[in-house]
Amino acid sequence: MNLVVFLPLFVPFFTGIIGLLLWGKPQAQRVVSLLGGIGLTLVGANLLLTVIQQGIQVTYIGDWVAPFGITLVADLLSAIMVFVAGMMTLSTVIYAIVTLDAPRERNGFHVLLHFMLFGVIGAFLTGDIFNLFVWYEVMLISSFVLLVMGGERAQLEGGIKYVTLNLIASALFLSAVGILYGVVGTLNMAHLAILVPQVEQQGLITTLAILFLFAFGIKSALFPVFFWLPASYHTPPIAVTVIFSALLTKVGIYSLIRVFTLIFTTDTAFTHTVLLIIAALTMILGVLGAVAQFEMRRLLSFHIISQIGYLLMGLALFTPLSLAATVFFLVHVIFAKSALFLVGGIIHHMTGTYDLKKLGGFYRVSPVLSVLFFIPAMSLAGIPPLSGFWAKYALVRAGLENNQPWIVAAALGVSILTMFSMTKIWAEAFLKEADDGKLRENVPALQSIPAALRLPMLAPIIVLAVLMVVMGVAAEPFFALSLQTAEQLLSRTEYVQAVLGVQL
Amino acid sequence: MAQSEITQADSQSPLMAWAMRGGIGWVLSILPLSLTLYFASLLPTITSGTVLRVSYTWIPSLGVDFAFIVDGLSLTFVLLVLGIGTLVVLYAGGYMAGDRQIGRFYLYLFLFMGAMVGLVLADNLITLFVFWELTSISSYLLIGYKHAYYSSRSSALQALLITGAGGLALLAGLVLLGIAAETQTISELGSRHELIVNSGLYAPILILVLIGAFTKSAQFPFQFWLPGAMAAPTPVSAYLHSATMVKAGVFLLARLNPALGDTPAWQITLTVFGAITMALGAYLAVSQTDLKRILAFTTVSSLGTLVMLIGIGGEHGIVAMMVFLIVHSLYKGCLFMVAGNIDHETGSRDVSILSGLRREMPITFGAAALAALSMAGLPPLLGFVGKELIYESTLDARFAAAAVTTVAVASNILMIVAAGMVAVRPFLPTGTTRHSTPRHPHEPPISMWLGPAVLATLSAVFGLFVVQVMQPIVTQGAAAILGEAVEVKLKLLPTSITGYFLLSVLTIALGIVSYLYARPALMQAGKATRGALEDGFVNGFTDLVNNTQAFARWITRALQSGYLRRYVLITIGAVVSVASAALLTRADLSAIRLFDTPLFLWETATILVILAGVALVLRARSRLTAIAGLGTVGFGITLIFFFFGAPDLVMTQFSVETLSVLLFILILYRLPIFTTISHRYSRLRDGIVAGLAGLLMTMITLLTIAGEELKPLTPFYAEASYVEARGRNVVNVILVDFRGIDTMGEITVLGIASLGIYLLLTLRLAPADGQAEAEDSTGKEQL
Amino acid sequence: METLLAIVIGVLYAAGLYLMMRRSIVKLVLGLGLIGHAANLLIFVTGRVQRGSSAVIPPDQTVLVAPFPDPVPQALILTAIVIGFGTQAFALVLLKRAYQAVKTDDMDAMNTTDR
Repeated sequence: MNLVVFLPLFVPFFTGIIGLLLWGKPQAQRVVSLLGGIGLTLVGANLLLTVIQQGIQVTYIGDWVAPFGITLVADLLSAIMVFVAGMMTLSTVIYAIVTLDAPRERNGFHVLLHFMLFGVIGAFLTGDIFNLFVWYEVMLISSFVLLVMGGERAQLEGGIKYVTLNLIASALFLSAVGILYGVVGTLNMAHLAILVPQVEQQGLITTLAILFLFAFGIKSALFPVFFWLPASYHTPPIAVTVIFSALLTKVGIYSLIRVFTLIFTTDTAFTHTVLLIIAALTMILGVLGAVAQFEMRRLLSFHIISQIGYLLMGLALFTPLSLAATVFFLVHVIFAKSALFLVGGIIHHMTGTYDLKKLGGFYRVSPVLSVLFFIPAMSLAGIPPLSGFWAKYALVRAGLENNQPWIVAAALGVSILTMFSMTKIWAEAFLKEADDGKLRENVPALQSIPAALRLPMLAPIIVLAVLMVVMGVAAEPFFALSLQTAEQLLSRTEYVQAVLGVQL
Repeated sequence: MAQSEITQADSQSPLMAWAMRGGIGWVLSILPLSLTLYFASLLPTITSGTVLRVSYTWIPSLGVDFAFIVDGLSLTFVLLVLGIGTLVVLYAGGYMAGDRQIGRFYLYLFLFMGAMVGLVLADNLITLFVFWELTSISSYLLIGYKHAYYSSRSSALQALLITGAGGLALLAGLVLLGIAAETQTISELGSRHELIVNSGLYAPILILVLIGAFTKSAQFPFQFWLPGAMAAPTPVSAYLHSATMVKAGVFLLARLNPALGDTPAWQITLTVFGAITMALGAYLAVSQTDLKRILAFTTVSSLGTLVMLIGIGGEHGIVAMMVFLIVHSLYKGCLFMVAGNIDHETGSRDVSILSGLRREMPITFGAAALAALSMAGLPPLLGFVGKELIYESTLDARFAAAAVTTVAVASNILMIVAAGMVAVRPFLPTGTTRHSTPRHPHEPPISMWLGPAVLATLSAVFGLFVVQVMQPIVTQGAAAILGEAVEVKLKLLPTSITGYFLLSVLTIALGIVSYLYARPALMQAGKATRGALEDGFVNGFTDLVNNTQAFARWITRALQSGYLRRYVLITIGAVVSVASAALLTRADLSAIRLFDTPLFLWETATILVILAGVALVLRARSRLTAIAGLGTVGFGITLIFFFFGAPDLVMTQFSVETLSVLLFILILYRLPIFTTISHRYSRLRDGIVAGLAGLLMTMITLLTIAGEELKPLTPFYAEASYVEARGRNVVNVILVDFRGIDTMGEITVLGIASLGIYLLLTLRLAPADGQAEAEDSTGKEQL
Repeated sequence: METLLAIVIGVLYAAGLYLMMRRSIVKLVLGLGLIGHAANLLIFVTGRVQRGSSAVIPPDQTVLVAPFPDPVPQALILTAIVIGFGTQAFALVLLKRAYQAVKTDDMDAMNTTDR
C-alpha cells in the first residue's frame, strides 16, 4: 500500500469520523477540524513533491492489481489538485471557526466539510470510473447537506434546484458508466485508455463521450447547464460558498480533463469542437450574468461560470501550451475566487450586507482591506504581473497559434467585462462615499473586529494574495510544472505504464 | 456633518507640518532626480551610436524575458518621464499639501513612473505589455483619486475601459507579431520586417496594434477619454495625460516602426487618423472655457500630429516627430502646472473670468509666456524648430502632401489661439471686472513654480542650442525608429527662404490675427458642433456601456428564469440534441438487431406490469396512486432481476423499494392532491423532449448490446473469487473485497444522508444567520 | 427480449424526465425515482443479460463455470441502488421542508433565489 497516495484520502475521512464521535463538543470538533485541514495540506504537499520527484504514484486498494481492483493514481494533475484542496480546506476551516454561526458549527459543519473533502480527494485520486461516480456521490450528498443546513427559505429553494440538477447529472453519469462497461468491459481508466480506441463502434464511443461531457458539464457549470450555480451558491453562509466555489466545479473540470485526455481521444474533431463552442458560450454568458448583478455573492458566482469557460478553452484547444494554461489557470482561479469571496465575507461580517448599493467607503477607511480586495480582483481580471495575466496570456497564445481567432476574441472580450465587473465592486463598495463629495458615516474599519478574530479572518486572504503575486512575478516554476503536467496528460504513456505496467 | 477631506491635524511636530505643507515633495523628488541624472550620464554613450541591452530570464516557458534596451528612442523617453517626473513629484507636494491621502497618491504616482520607465525600456514584447497594462491601472487609480465624486470615478472607469480594451487588442496583436516574426525580442523585429509583412498575419497585427496604440494615445475615434481624465488632480494631468502616459501609444508606434512600418497600410492609416485627430483636437480646444479642457484637447491634437508624422515616415517625418515630442512635453507639462497654479491660487479655471494675474503671479506668468511662445512656434524657442520640421515633412509627404499640409497649418493656427487663451489672456489685464475669482491670488510656493519655470527655460535653451543639445539625441532616436543610421541636421534659424519657413510665418501671422479677432466666431462654431463632436462620443460610449449592461440583465433574466422545470428542459434538451447528433452522424445504426432472442411469457408479463406502473405514475390524480405506481415499477424490476440470475439484486431491490415506498407515504402523507395543471403546449413540448431522451437511451442500449461482447475482467473474478478471496457469491466478493472501497463510499453516502435528514428536520434558523436557536422538534410530528 | 427491455428503459427515462419537468415538487421526486430505476436497468441490460444461472460458485466447485451472468454490473447496480436510496430519502425530506417553507408544492413559486 503506497501510503503517499493513500493518506490524502484517509485524512479527511478520519477527521470526519472523529468529528462525528465528538458530536456535542464544538470546541473539540474545531481543534480536530483544524488539525485535519493542516494534515491534509501537509500530506497533499508531500504527495505533490513525491510525484514531481519520483513520477506517478499508484496504489492498489486491497492489493488487487489493476484492472481488477480499484486503483488510486496520483499524476501531476491529481497531486496539484489534492494539494490545493488541502490549502483551501485549511482556509475554510480557519474562516469558519471565526465567522460561522454557532448553530451550524455545533451541528456538524466540520464533519460535513471533511466528508465532502473525502469525496473530492477520492475523485482526484481514483483511477476507476465507477469509483469516480461513488466519490461524486459522497461529495454531492455532503454538499447537499452543507447547502441546506439551517433551513432558511433561500437555502431550501436554492437547494432544491441544486439537488435536482446535480442528481440528473448523477443519473447521466451512472448511465454513461453503465454503457461504457457494456461496450468495453472494464472500468479502470488506464485499461480504458488502451481498450477504447480498439472498440469497433467508435460512433457509440463518441456518443458516450458526449454523455460524459454533459454529466461532468453539469457539475462544472458549463453552458447551457449551469443554472443550479447562480440559484444556490449565494444562499448559504460564506464559509460554505468559499469551499464550494473553490472545489466543486473544479472536480467537474478535473474529470473532464481526465476523460478527454485519457479515454476519449479518438474523435477530437467532434468532441473538442463541441467543447470549444461550449467554452466560448460559457465564458460569455457567465460574465454577462455577473455584469447584471449588484449583490456581491451573486456577482462572484456568475464569475465562477465565466472562468470555467476559460478552463474549458484550454482543454478544447488540446495542445501542450493550452492544457498547461488550463492547469495554471485552475490553481490561479481557485485562489482568486476564494480570496474574493472571503473579502466579501469580511465586508458582510462588518456591515451585514452584500448589496453593493448599500456599501461604500472602505477605500478610505481600510487600506488593508482595499489591498486585499484589489490584488485578487486585478488578478481575476488578468492584469499583469499577477497570476491571472499569465494564465490569460497562455490561453491567448495557444488559441492564436492554433488558428482559433474567434475563441481568443471571446476570451479577450470577456476579460474586459470581467475588469468592468471588478471595478464595479471596487467603485461601489470601496471608492463610493455618500452623496457627491460628502463622506460616508459609520463605515466600519477592520478595527471593529475583535483582535482575536481579526488575524484568523485575514490570514487566509493574505496568504492567497501573496500566492497570486508570487505566481505572477515568479511564474516560471509554476508554469514549467504546468507544462510538465500537460505533457504528461497528453502523452498518457506514463499513466498507463504506472498503473498497468504495460506500454500504451 | 460632512467632514472635509483636507484637514490639518491639530497638533503636529514641526517636521510633520513641513511635510504636510509640501516638504514631502522635495524629499521624494530625490529618487526620480537621481535616476534622471543616471540616465543622463548615459547620453554620451548613446549619442555615439552604442546601444545598451540587458536581459534576464523571466518566464522562458512562455518566451518572456525581462529584457531592456537603451537606445536613442528609449533614452529620450526615459529622460522625459523621469525628468518631468521629478518636477511633478515636487509640484504635487505643494499642490496637494494637506491632503490626507497624499501617501496613496505618491504610491500610485511612483507605481506609474516605474511602469512607464519599464515600458519605454522594454525589449521584449510581452514585458512591454506588462508595463503597458500597469500604466493603465495606475492611471485608473490616479484619475479616480478624488474617489468620493461620481465624476472622478466614472471618468477613471471610462479611461480604463477604453485603454483596457485597446490593451487586450494589443495583446492579441503582439502575440501574433511574435508568432509571425518568430521572436519576442523587440530589437530583433526590425531584421524580420520582410517575414512579418509577408506572413499573412500582417493585416490583423496592424489592426490590433493600432487599436492598442490609438486607444492609449487618444486618437480618433477614441479621443474622448482624455478630456474626461481631467477629473484627475492637476499634477496627474500634467504628468500622465500630457507628457507621458498618453505618449505610450506614440512610443509603441515608433518602437514597432522597423517591424511594421514602410507599408502603404501603415503610412496611410497613421497619416489619416493622425491628421483627423490633429484637426479635431485643435478645433475643439478653442471653444472650451476650462483651462484644463483646453489643454486636454490641444494634447489630443498634438498626439495626432505625432502619429501623423510617424505615418509620413522617412527621415523628415521621424526627425520631426522626435523633436516635436520633446517640444510638446516641455510646453504642455509647463502649461498644465501653470493651470494648476491658477486653479490653486484663484479657485477657478474658467478663462472667461481670469485676467490680470500677471501682477500677482509674475513667475508663473513668465513660465507661461515662454511655453505659449513654444506652443505657438515662435523663435527662438524649440517650438519653432519643431514647427519648421513638421512643415518640412508634410510638404514632402508621399501621400496627399497638399491636403495634409493644409490641415496642419489650420491646426497650428488654432493652436496659437489656444496658446493665447491659456497663457496670455489670464495674465494680461483687461478692462473687465477683476477679483471675480473665488480667491485672491498670489504666487504659489516655490515647489509649484519651479517646475513650470524649469520646463519653460528648457524650451528656450533647447531651442537656442538646438545643435548641441538636441541634434545628437534626435539622431540616435531617429536611427532607432528607422532601423538604420541617419544623418540629422537641426538648425534654429533658417538659412534660406524655404516653403516651410513661409508656412511658419503664415501660421504665426494668421494665428495672432485669429486670436485677436476670430475667437468669438470660433466659440460659436464650437458650441454648435459640441453635440456631435464632443458630447457625441462620450454619450455614444456611455450608451454602449449602458446597453451592454441592459443586455446582460435581459439575457440573464431570460436564462436564469427561476423556474426549475425550464432548467431541466434546457439541460435535457442540450444533452439529447448533442448526443443524438453524435449518434446519428457517427454511429452505425444498422448494426442494431431487434428481434434476436425469443420472448418469454413471464418476462413479458412483468414488463407489461412495469409499463402499467409507469402509466399509473404519470396519470395519477392522487399522490398515493402515484406512489403505488412507482412501487409497481420497482417491484417489477425486482422480478426482472430474478429472471436474469441476480439474486442479490432481487433482495436489495425488494428491500429498498419497500423502504422507499414507505418513506414516500410517510413524507407525502399530508400533502393535498395534485392541483397544478400546466399548459397543453408545455406538456406537449416536455413530452416530446422527454420522449426523445427515452428514444436516445433505447437506441444506445440496442446499439451496445448489438456490439461485440467484451469481458476482460470477468474471468478473473470467476476464478479468483473463491480461490483468493474466499467467497462463493461473486457479486458479494466484488462488493466487499475487489471493489470494497466503492461500498465504503456507498455507506458513507447513506450516513451523510441520514445526518442531513436529521439536520433538515431539527435545525431551523431564521434568515439572520444563527440568531434563532436550533429548535428541538420531534421528527414524526413534523412529518 | 432484450429489445423489449431496451424499450422499457427508454420509457422509464422518458417518463421520469417528463415528470421532472412538471411544476409539482412531488412529481419531481417521483421522476427522480423513475430515472434511478432506468439507470439501474440500463446497466443491467448493457452488461448482457443471462438466464438460468447466477454468479454464485456452487459448493462443489472453486470457480465459476460458464454460463454465468456477469457479476460486475450486478455489483455496480447494487451500489447504485443504495446510493440512490440515500439521495432519494434526502430529497424527499428536503421537498417536505421546502413545502413547509413555501406553503405550496408549485416549483414556479420558488424562484426568489434567481432574481
